[in-house]
Amino acid sequence: MRIAIDTGGTFTDCVFVRDGRLEILKVPSTPRQPAQAIAEVLRRLVAKLGGESCALTLGTTVGTNALLERRGGRIALVTTAGLEDVLEIGRQARPRLYDFFVERPAPLVPASRRFGLAERVGWDGRVLQRPTAAAIARVVGAVRHARAEAVAVCFLFSFAHPAHEAAMTRALRAAGFAVSASHEILPEFREYERTATTVVNAYLLPVMGRYLAEVERVAGGAVRVMQSSGGILSARRAAREPVRTILSGPAGGVLGAQYVAERAGFDDVISLDMGGTSTDVALVSRTLRTTNEATVAGLPVAVPMLDIHTVGAGGGSIARFDRGGALRVGPESAGADPGPICYGRGEQPTVTDAHLVLGRLAPQGFLGGEFRLDERRTRDYLERFLRRAPGALRSLEEFAQGVLDVANATMEKAIRVISLERGYDPRDYTLVAFGGAGGLHACELAAALAIPRILIPKFPGVLSALGILRADVVRDFSRTIRLPVASLAAAREALRRIFAVLERRGQADLAHEGFSAAELRFERLLEMRYIGQAYELAVPAGGDFVTAFHRAHQQRYGYAEPGRPVEIVTVRLRVAGRTAKPELPRSRPVGHSPKAALTGEQRIYHRGRMLSAAIYDRARLRAGHRFAGPALVTEYSATTFVPPGWQARVDGWENLRLTRR
Amino acid sequence: MPDPTRLEIFKNLFHSVAEEMGAALRRVAFSPNIKERRDYSCAVFDAAGQVLAMGDHMPVHLGSMPASVAAAIQALSLAPGDVALLNDPYAGGTHLPDLTMVMPVYLPRGRRPAFYVANRAHHADVGGSQAGSMGLAREIYQEGLRIPPVKIYQRGRLVRDVLAMILGNVRTPEERQGDLAAQIAACRIGERRLLEIVAKYGRREVFAYARHLLDYSARMMRSVLRTLPDGTYRAEDFLDDDGIAPQPLRIAVTVRIRGGRAVVDFTGSAPQCAGSVNAVRAITESAVFYVFRCLLDEQVPATAGLMRPIRVVAPDGSLVAARPPAAVAGGNVETSQRIVDVLLRALAQAVPARIPAASQGTMNNLTLGGSDPRRGGAPFAYYETLAGGMGARPGKDGISGIHTHMTNSLNSPIEVLEHAYPVRVRRYALRRGSGGAGTWCGGDGLVREIELLTETQVGLLCDRRRFGPYGLAGGQPGKPGRNLLIVGGRRRQLAGKCGFYAAAGTILRIETPGGGGWGRPGKKSAMAVPEQGRITRARSNG
Repeated sequence: MRIAIDTGGTFTDCVFVRDGRLEILKVPSTPRQPAQAIAEVLRRLVAKLGGESCALTLGTTVGTNALLERRGGRIALVTTAGLEDVLEIGRQARPRLYDFFVERPAPLVPASRRFGLAERVGWDGRVLQRPTAAAIARVVGAVRHARAEAVAVCFLFSFAHPAHEAAMTRALRAAGFAVSASHEILPEFREYERTATTVVNAYLLPVMGRYLAEVERVAGGAVRVMQSSGGILSARRAAREPVRTILSGPAGGVLGAQYVAERAGFDDVISLDMGGTSTDVALVSRTLRTTNEATVAGLPVAVPMLDIHTVGAGGGSIARFDRGGALRVGPESAGADPGPICYGRGEQPTVTDAHLVLGRLAPQGFLGGEFRLDERRTRDYLERFLRRAPGALRSLEEFAQGVLDVANATMEKAIRVISLERGYDPRDYTLVAFGGAGGLHACELAAALAIPRILIPKFPGVLSALGILRADVVRDFSRTIRLPVASLAAAREALRRIFAVLERRGQADLAHEGFSAAELRFERLLEMRYIGQAYELAVPAGGDFVTAFHRAHQQRYGYAEPGRPVEIVTVRLRVAGRTAKPELPRSRPVGHSPKAALTGEQRIYHRGRMLSAAIYDRARLRAGHRFAGPALVTEYSATTFVPPGWQARVDGWENLRLTRR
Repeated sequence: MPDPTRLEIFKNLFHSVAEEMGAALRRVAFSPNIKERRDYSCAVFDAAGQVLAMGDHMPVHLGSMPASVAAAIQALSLAPGDVALLNDPYAGGTHLPDLTMVMPVYLPRGRRPAFYVANRAHHADVGGSQAGSMGLAREIYQEGLRIPPVKIYQRGRLVRDVLAMILGNVRTPEERQGDLAAQIAACRIGERRLLEIVAKYGRREVFAYARHLLDYSARMMRSVLRTLPDGTYRAEDFLDDDGIAPQPLRIAVTVRIRGGRAVVDFTGSAPQCAGSVNAVRAITESAVFYVFRCLLDEQVPATAGLMRPIRVVAPDGSLVAARPPAAVAGGNVETSQRIVDVLLRALAQAVPARIPAASQGTMNNLTLGGSDPRRGGAPFAYYETLAGGMGARPGKDGISGIHTHMTNSLNSPIEVLEHAYPVRVRRYALRRGSGGAGTWCGGDGLVREIELLTETQVGLLCDRRRFGPYGLAGGQPGKPGRNLLIVGGRRRQLAGKCGFYAAAGTILRIETPGGGGWGRPGKKSAMAVPEQGRITRARSNG
């Protein structure tokens, strides 16, 4: 049986499907010893399932955390001689413009462990200087002397001619070092981004290697790991390429959102995962959209990742007035400690406090009643806060509404970045909102962006695990080729040869994962541009890709120049092995009336009016139920707010569907 | 009193218009200078030409874009669908390679523009005697094509005559045409977004909050000025020379702070010079704007309101307010940096704990041009600026190899550079030991060695080759930069500002200045100087 475990949050979530039902296990996470929580989950599973064999798929934040907290390995870097400092210089820009005290993240490898090898390849792949065996041996000696645990190797133009890098890599591996070579990790142009990505990989090798070995030991069998690109991979391979797992958990959430929307009949989705400190948004269509321009912990990571945009607005985001009298919300967060005022310890107003004041949270209805919210305390603190604030906001409710409006503006901007700025119209999409606070903001965001419908998935607390449970095995390959397209036929011939090489590698890799050639799906993309242009657009490699490029350029930028010559900069191949996917069952409608789920009523403040809102218990809502806003839907770890003018319906998969009347 | 929520929301709205314009410009542009180096800016203006928002792009464009809009409005009557283009430093521009587009935004049935959107991009060549249009010159006529405000689009139609005229005067017309198209696309994005915002919130509300936003910025700036002790603070610093005569050029400032207002007076600065480091007034205002904005401890929108409490006095015909026909290519990039240095030196007397020592104080402008034998002799023109050492901050070392103050352009990746131009980068490294010592040390500069693979016209426009960036509070100055030519293994030192033809096989080595130190050296314990890898060191001496 296939099971998925997501270790990202406060809880380690485990999901599996048995007898057509989604089963959920939650245990507290153990951030210091992440494998412990997994062992605990597995112990409980054995108790539940007996001896049935399990195939484990894992979402992990071990890599992300090691990077954020700088707890990776002691590593060395070998570069082309003369370019040892490229890693430190980066793109020579500062992260903030108007700040005399700005900081730049320190390089993961200090100067004392960066070594140059006398070698050189030219822009066209021609060898200008061959490295000598003696020079290679000297570098191996220096690396040993530096007591490095792992080594990154990145030479100039190695994507065009990898032989020098390969020779250095062989020598280091022969000497017993774990090596990340840039032509293996990311054979693409732009030396700083490639070096940085290769270095992050080397940095995570020791940590992820130990962790995944431990997980395999605990699991007693094969384990697969979620990658940032939305596919899974054997733990053994992931341990060699840990840089691909950095956004493992968020990627699961996007897949989960895609799955529930697709089942409900919607292919085009904007996912909104709103947590305590930040909100992740992503845009998904039938195919997953990846980016190669992600930044994690201030470092560029150029392997394909789902295009997830994160902004500093969450339930714990702190509200304040600045000196000019504007209301600011976030990015500072009260987090879980001290938390919002209503949790009992925080003293600064947060987004969650604003929801409480407006009546959008049921004080008794958090974590099944385990967690009470202190409304009295919240009002006291907010009143005190407002007495010191500029005079324009007269009431607590007006202030609270303002806090939400500002937080919504931040999230709206994030959705614009992934949709309109990339040439996609949100009006063609379905908003899938989850995370603790997603359902509280979904309607207002949808209204602002004219998104026609919202889906609040069933099990919003384990959506990421659900996505992981259904992911395919995926390997991504790429290569910068910079091929001018003189004729379509000639280009096709060249591409056929280049893709054949990548496809053979893909087949070999997926054979190791247990897939025969016939079971594989290939997705071939070309990154193209007008010759001389500096930015590429991805188009499918099949058919008349030149016309497709002009069309894509027209769609995205409003014009095309069919007469201008084009070039193919980078080719991308995604090889996917389809896995067996447990499906969730469809429930039969039981009638329209949600009366059985009605637990009470609550006064809410909405846009200047006091209204009475019905409260429904999500656990008792059934397929077919319908109701109108204003209403609150409470569940174990989340609340949904249905404003006046909105209609809610529970669909056949027990998702909540919200539309405007 | 405006509603604090709406104020915050409109602040973000206007800013996102500028950011979206920037994203479009970057993605559609052709030249590495725009996409890879991000040498551009986008901004939104109200009907009176006051800045409402500016993307976080290039600080040096910040205070100087309003002059472009003012010049375009004054010279032309802009109808719906028109786009003005200009680069004349004496009519709204800064230096010739910066081409600025200004587009009016008309509301439905509007008879006058409700807003303007503008963007500026540094083009890799606009003609003139020097490939890259950033070389030494004695008058503006030698620096390239001078474009007063003209319509490049009229009623939605491209004015082909104007375009042809421009393309006929530049070295790389195809690239220019592509970049100009990108600038138009960016204007259109800005227009569309503003119209959406007005449709959603209503014009009265949008106009009201545009005004509130200006007042808000002014309040923010006044509150910062009130944190500075009232008084008069004077300082001076020097540019090495103008590239023609050897005399240093003085920049002097007197800053008077009084009750939340500031007067920044450059009386006493050198008269405009024969070479190309003259700054037009808009640049001087940009530099002042930049420094005071950095004193704000939080993110504020870059609106015209910020400058309300500040008055800039710059004597006409001086180095910091040049008159035609002075050459100005370096005013934007070099003199602007020195103006910042001088201002910081003055303000360090007022609030020493908030002011860093001098950063490299130059952009180390390098231009290369010629014909590329790999492409059948097609012309090429390349422009780049090099980072250097950041000045030490009270409590923090300066960062090494980073752009400071008036620029934040990225470097061109070597793998882009060598593919696009007939050059080979032999070395790109930190220049160790170049940062000034201090309790907190200045950041190190850079070393970049470029081998020219064909006969090439080289232009260098660099300062801080004689006077190193100053330290503060007893910190040592950073090392001045050096320009070297290596031919057949022999090194020859070059002037900071020069232009020449170099034969194939010549190596150009540029060493950029380190930042100044802060506080007396040796006070902080464990002052680690980064050591170099041994193999690296063995090679670097050879």
